Amino acid sequence: MATTIQLNSVEKRYGAHDVIRGIDLDIKPGAFTVFVGPSGCGKSTLLRMIAGLESISGGDLMIDGARMNDVAAARRGIAMVFQSYALYPHMSVYKNLAFGLETAGYKRKEIQQRVNDAAATLQITDYLHRKPKALSGGQRQRVAIGRSIVRDPKIFLFDEPLSNLDAELRVQMRVEITKLHERLGNTMIYVTHDQVEAMTMADQIVVLRGGKVMQAGSPLELYNEPANQFVAGFLGSPKMNFAPVRVADGGAVTLDRHRIEVNRPLQVAPGEDLTLGIRPEHIGIGEGPGQTLGEAQVDLVEHLGGSTVLHVRPQFGHEPLTVVLPGQHTCRTGDVVTLRIDPADCHFFDGEGRAIRG
Amino acid sequence: MTDAVNDMPGRGSAYPRLNSTLRHALLIAVCIVMIYPILWMLSGSLRPASELFGGEAGLIPSQVTLSAYPDGWFGLQVTFGRFFANSLIISVLATIGNVLAASLVAYAFARLRFAGQNFWFALMLGTLMLPYHVTLIPQYVLFRELGWVNTWLPLIVPKYFAVDAFFIFLMVQFFRGIPRELDEAARMDGCSAWRIYRKIILPLSMPVLATAAIFSFIWTWEDFFGPLIYISEMENYTVQLGLRSFIDSSGTSSWNELFAMSILSLVPIFLIFLFFQRLLIEGIATTGMKR
Amino acid sequence: MSAYDAIEGGKSAARPETSGWLARAIHRNGAGYLFLAPWLIGFFCLTLGPALVSLYLSFTDFDLLTSPEFVGAQNYVRMVTADAKFAAAIRVTLVYVALSVPLKLAFALAIAMVLNRGMRALPAYRAIFYLPSLLGTSVAIAVLWRQLFAADGFVNSLLATVGIEGPSWISNPNYSLYTLVVLSVWQFGSPMIIFLAGLRQIPADMYEAASLDGASSRRQFLRITLPLLSPVIFFNVVIQTIEAFKAFTPAFIISGGSGGPINSTLFYTLYLYQEAFSYFRMGYASALAWVLVIIIAIFTAFSFLTTKYWVHYDD
Repeated sequence: MATTIQLNSVEKRYGAHDVIRGIDLDIKPGAFTVFVGPSGCGKSTLLRMIAGLESISGGDLMIDGARMNDVAAARRGIAMVFQSYALYPHMSVYKNLAFGLETAGYKRKEIQQRVNDAAATLQITDYLHRKPKALSGGQRQRVAIGRSIVRDPKIFLFDEPLSNLDAELRVQMRVEITKLHERLGNTMIYVTHDQVEAMTMADQIVVLRGGKVMQAGSPLELYNEPANQFVAGFLGSPKMNFAPVRVADGGAVTLDRHRIEVNRPLQVAPGEDLTLGIRPEHIGIGEGPGQTLGEAQVDLVEHLGGSTVLHVRPQFGHEPLTVVLPGQHTCRTGDVVTLRIDPADCHFFDGEGRAIRG
Repeated sequence: MTDAVNDMPGRGSAYPRLNSTLRHALLIAVCIVMIYPILWMLSGSLRPASELFGGEAGLIPSQVTLSAYPDGWFGLQVTFGRFFANSLIISVLATIGNVLAASLVAYAFARLRFAGQNFWFALMLGTLMLPYHVTLIPQYVLFRELGWVNTWLPLIVPKYFAVDAFFIFLMVQFFRGIPRELDEAARMDGCSAWRIYRKIILPLSMPVLATAAIFSFIWTWEDFFGPLIYISEMENYTVQLGLRSFIDSSGTSSWNELFAMSILSLVPIFLIFLFFQRLLIEGIATTGMKR
Repeated sequence: MSAYDAIEGGKSAARPETSGWLARAIHRNGAGYLFLAPWLIGFFCLTLGPALVSLYLSFTDFDLLTSPEFVGAQNYVRMVTADAKFAAAIRVTLVYVALSVPLKLAFALAIAMVLNRGMRALPAYRAIFYLPSLLGTSVAIAVLWRQLFAADGFVNSLLATVGIEGPSWISNPNYSLYTLVVLSVWQFGSPMIIFLAGLRQIPADMYEAASLDGASSRRQFLRITLPLLSPVIFFNVVIQTIEAFKAFTPAFIISGGSGGPINSTLFYTLYLYQEAFSYFRMGYASALAWVLVIIIAIFTAFSFLTTKYWVHYDD
């Protein structure tokens, strides 16, 4: 049975400096949770607090219902994969895997059994007698994961484990970690600053900023219904477009005098200033369904093959917009195109950045 | 820092005028001046006592004899063999103490967290510059009260209490260079602080431990002041004290024997120099060791 | 980073959650203090305690056999007003420091600059230059020096070959101290290695840029090498000066423990040793020790104060 983790108003202070400011979080058994956010948002600190490497200044950390604040790292049933892998450079791969088991006082036979199993799972059997420095980056990564597997922990923590790998290997390891999670079924927490990793791997994404949870939920929930402008802008690539709008009468907003029918009640008084958010892939060009937004001049075209990215300067408003069109297009710099949107795809945020739901 | 002492051939310089041959000639001349006195002492130890002392500035003895070595060896009531054994025991025990104590303390400063840490660290650094003369007399009184005068204990026991802050500082610097994530991984692996020290930090610190051990050994071996004040019976003399007695008892009449024993007293240091030169030089270059 | 136990590892059971601030404090700091223990004991019993005791003793008459008798500042007063040997020791030590440190460092720097050209034989030269430093304070080296500069020693026989009759360097008070200065300079190896390491940190392209600008090598030395090396020079000056103040063995061996002839090699530490262990004036010797600390402290503080005028730091 996999493990639950609960954080109740968890805080971390260094002197007068608040790093984590009251985090409440529920992690379901067997879930793959990703902490994501810009650097300095506290995601690594939070992970290390769960691991037991950082003390908890306030609030409770519960694992399977038991309070863990004062329990030593090793007794929390947690294994962690570090960004730098932290393989013991003076030990062979075998010794690296066996070290934790030896520390825990396992019998030699059992250690051998477990190490060999883990090595087979991760296909590192051939390197068991090498020192870490004789391994490639990907192999070291596997050893680091292997070291966490052998102890059969309840929870796995990953601290930006792929950031030292090249792009190709990163994609490959991403898939392997996801598969590992499917096979083991353990509760896992994964920290990254890469929103693609977050979107592709997570059951639950927790977006952090300034030591607070901005939003937690499934990847599509966060993508489709961002709770605030920060989450909306952080997830998705290219980034969501934002433009200032003013609420008009009759379920509409005006974007620089251009009227957009929202078709849903906004529950905001007319005359208020809002921010409109629309994802690049939700803007179309030319004739089609939805509402015309006006004309724009193409500044730059990026042909990605599977899709085409346009950077356009609308004749309404001043902010340049990004548009992603599926497939290939013959647009050129300097062309003037008609933009159109489906009002259902529009997000609205108030002056504090909070999402306004219809 | 280590590559500071590695060679970088082809490195440009501001002083291209001095051509290479001239430079080498100059350096070789300096080398000769540096080494000549030691060679002169070596050659002196091989001359017969009858060969008038000093009148000879050359290196080649008119007649080579090894007799000064056995004569000097047995020249005092107690043989130099005993002095060498004493010095060796003291130096080895002192070295073990220094490395053990300094590494424990350095680990606490570099890796553990505890209240008052910065305060103690500052105090420790403060003792680096403190001349040992201020503690000399009360220490002497203390050891005298303990009945340790004329034993080796005053030369050995303090090292087990990390009195030489220099070694602590040296090791703190090194330990700080070991990635902290290794400790954290070990903690996740269930290691106690002791086990991390023993299984992670120490094995990864062999270079600095060796450097500390070598310097500790050499300094204890060469120490004259400590034995001079604490050891009175010739049975317990170190080599350095033995040499001093030799000067007093024989004056310049058997200078070839004095030279022979002097040469022998330098042999252990010279051997260490031959085998561990790199560690010694790196140790100095990276930490600014005093000599 | 949270606390963790020194003795217990993952094997032992979970501890009770909260059991008072004392248990918590021990839990949090125990490991640190356990590892620190050797030093703490040593610091209190062998450094701080003795230092305070010696400060007290410096205001007493103490002969080791009878208990110390408080005499106020008398020791210090006598030192300054009525002790010709103290004055001699101060003079000898200051001359020794003032001559040996600059000469030794100038030599070390000069050789380091010549070596700093990536020559193939560098390790060999470096090793040979370093050897005397390592043999350093051995009695054997002092013995050697005594014979080199004896009346019928090596130096004079060398001088004799060119027809000069040298004095008896060791037993002539006009020269004896200088033989010790020469011995100190002979041991320039370790500051040289530190200089070499420092020179290696100066980027080569700085010299290349300067050469392109047409700077002469003298100008490059004054404008690039010296400023960029100044932290290392400062470090060497401080360390070598303190070491020079503490020099003992060569003076002891060369003068046979007397500091003679006519106190010409009476190093401060040698005088301190005599007072303490030849005459058993332990109170007076303690006062001497504290005066040494004060001298070194003043020197060090003064050096640090001057750094803003000549030591160049990157940031």
